[in-house]
Amino acid sequence: MNAALLSLSLPLVAGLLLVLLRPGRSGLWVILMSVTSLIAAAFALQQAMNLGPQLLQIGGWQTPLAIRFQLTPLTALLMVFTAGLHLLVALYAARSPHATGSEDYWPLSCLLHGALVALWLSADLFNLYVTLELLSLCAVALVALAGRKAYRPAFNYLMLSLAGSLAYLFGVALFYGRYGVLDIWVLAEMAEADGTTRLALLLMSVGLMLKAALWPLHLWLPPAHSGAPTAVSALLSALVVKGPIYILWLVWSVIAPPELGRQAGFLFAGAGILALISGGWSALRAPRLKVLVAYSTVAQLGYALLALGLLLHWQEPRMEAALWLFILAHGLAKVSMFLAAGELQRVLGTRRVRALKGASQNMPVAMATFAVAGGSLIGLPPSGGFLAKWLMLQPLFEQPQHWPWAFGVLLGTLMSAAYVFRVVALGFDRARPNPPSIKPDPVAQWLAMLPALLVLSLALISEPLLLWLGGVAR
Amino acid sequence: MSSSLFWMIIGAALWLLGLHGLLTLRQALRRIIAFNLMGSGVFLVMIALASRSQPSDPLLVALVVTGLVVAVSATALALRLAGVAQGGRKHAHPEEPRQ
Repeated sequence: MNAALLSLSLPLVAGLLLVLLRPGRSGLWVILMSVTSLIAAAFALQQAMNLGPQLLQIGGWQTPLAIRFQLTPLTALLMVFTAGLHLLVALYAARSPHATGSEDYWPLSCLLHGALVALWLSADLFNLYVTLELLSLCAVALVALAGRKAYRPAFNYLMLSLAGSLAYLFGVALFYGRYGVLDIWVLAEMAEADGTTRLALLLMSVGLMLKAALWPLHLWLPPAHSGAPTAVSALLSALVVKGPIYILWLVWSVIAPPELGRQAGFLFAGAGILALISGGWSALRAPRLKVLVAYSTVAQLGYALLALGLLLHWQEPRMEAALWLFILAHGLAKVSMFLAAGELQRVLGTRRVRALKGASQNMPVAMATFAVAGGSLIGLPPSGGFLAKWLMLQPLFEQPQHWPWAFGVLLGTLMSAAYVFRVVALGFDRARPNPPSIKPDPVAQWLAMLPALLVLSLALISEPLLLWLGGVAR
Repeated sequence: MSSSLFWMIIGAALWLLGLHGLLTLRQALRRIIAFNLMGSGVFLVMIALASRSQPSDPLLVALVVTGLVVAVSATALALRLAGVAQGGRKHAHPEEPRQ
């Protein structure tokens, strides 16, 4: 637990110190901090695997009153994931200062990291609300770094995110009114399928779906994510939307009674399929590169929603591993994709997808990054996306009557292949390449490539990964 | 009807009213007020829940205080953002570096 607390307090303290002291080379300090936090998170993962799930009572209060932190293999893995992605984005941002918007990026990204780690660790509904608010306040401030044109999307993002939080808080109040406790593990034993519980779960789900931009509540995401500075877009798409999904999973798979989960799971899975199709369609038609990548986030979150829905609908534990693998693989692939997209649009001097014509001539590494990350989104082997899709399809193929879901996954795959190939085909069209307006920076392109290479090799380390995910929560 | 149920219904009504405003209104300031109305609705429900027992439940009161702090900071950020977004439209700042 101590390693986990270190991994939590490092980014928080670093963020506050960076605000107060304003040192000259913030990027270097942030890289140093995220490496240390990553090592601490790895230690926490090892501890959680050896000793099993651990609970910490903050302040030493006893159970009904205590606010508890939980360290399970899953939370430790998510901490490693958060610190790792923060490190990868920080490496790129330190190399290309234009990607951050302003120097204020550094303390804010540290606070975002800290808020997210606190979210993974919390085992208390109200504490989760506070971390959720911290997360979205940091995220909104980061979006606003892009300057005047991003203020309106940032404001809309803030308003919808607050509406989502207050819906969630209403649900928390109803839970407390009905059961008198907020700790999720205590609630899990008490929860019954009555009217108040249903209403509370409905309010919480709608609020969390709004915050995670799950279909049909995703409309705020493309303007906010595409309007933000490149490094911020990468952090938002890869990390921030995953926080509410984690809480949604926690609420439904731990607290909600199974008979309610069975009904709601069907709706979640249906919304997931629709997200795959409508997000993919919008990505296919998006005129701008970053908007395309942002819509692909909407589509890819559909897989997570589908996995969550089928997990609840059939109580199928294999879906749990599929859900978290989707989250990890999507995070890595999306970081790479946004960084490559930012690099491409900066060097080519335009945001249009059409301008990518022949980009593989001048910026081969960035284009290859986009293609490799896209391969994981489509689910080509041996990427992480392939592994996740394999895990999800296995239970579907075992019972032939589940073919509509498998067909939905197939449609989603075709959609993602279509929008990835739309970009890649343009990039490798060598007839009349669009000349770069500034000199490309090969180092930055390789730094953007790094997460894509990681996600490509994810299937090669699938054995320990599945072992860690096998020890999920329960 | 007990008084705590009465206040809970008022709170839920305020929450719905705020949600409606947040989704339908266009001006930034009105939307900020609408979100605060939603917050007040939830806090009213929590206080009504707390007052069901004698003496009133201290945990819920503590949660409301924490919630108020969060709401105030979110409102501050929203006001600042709305302010710069408005100011940017009325008179552009040429000195601001363009991205």
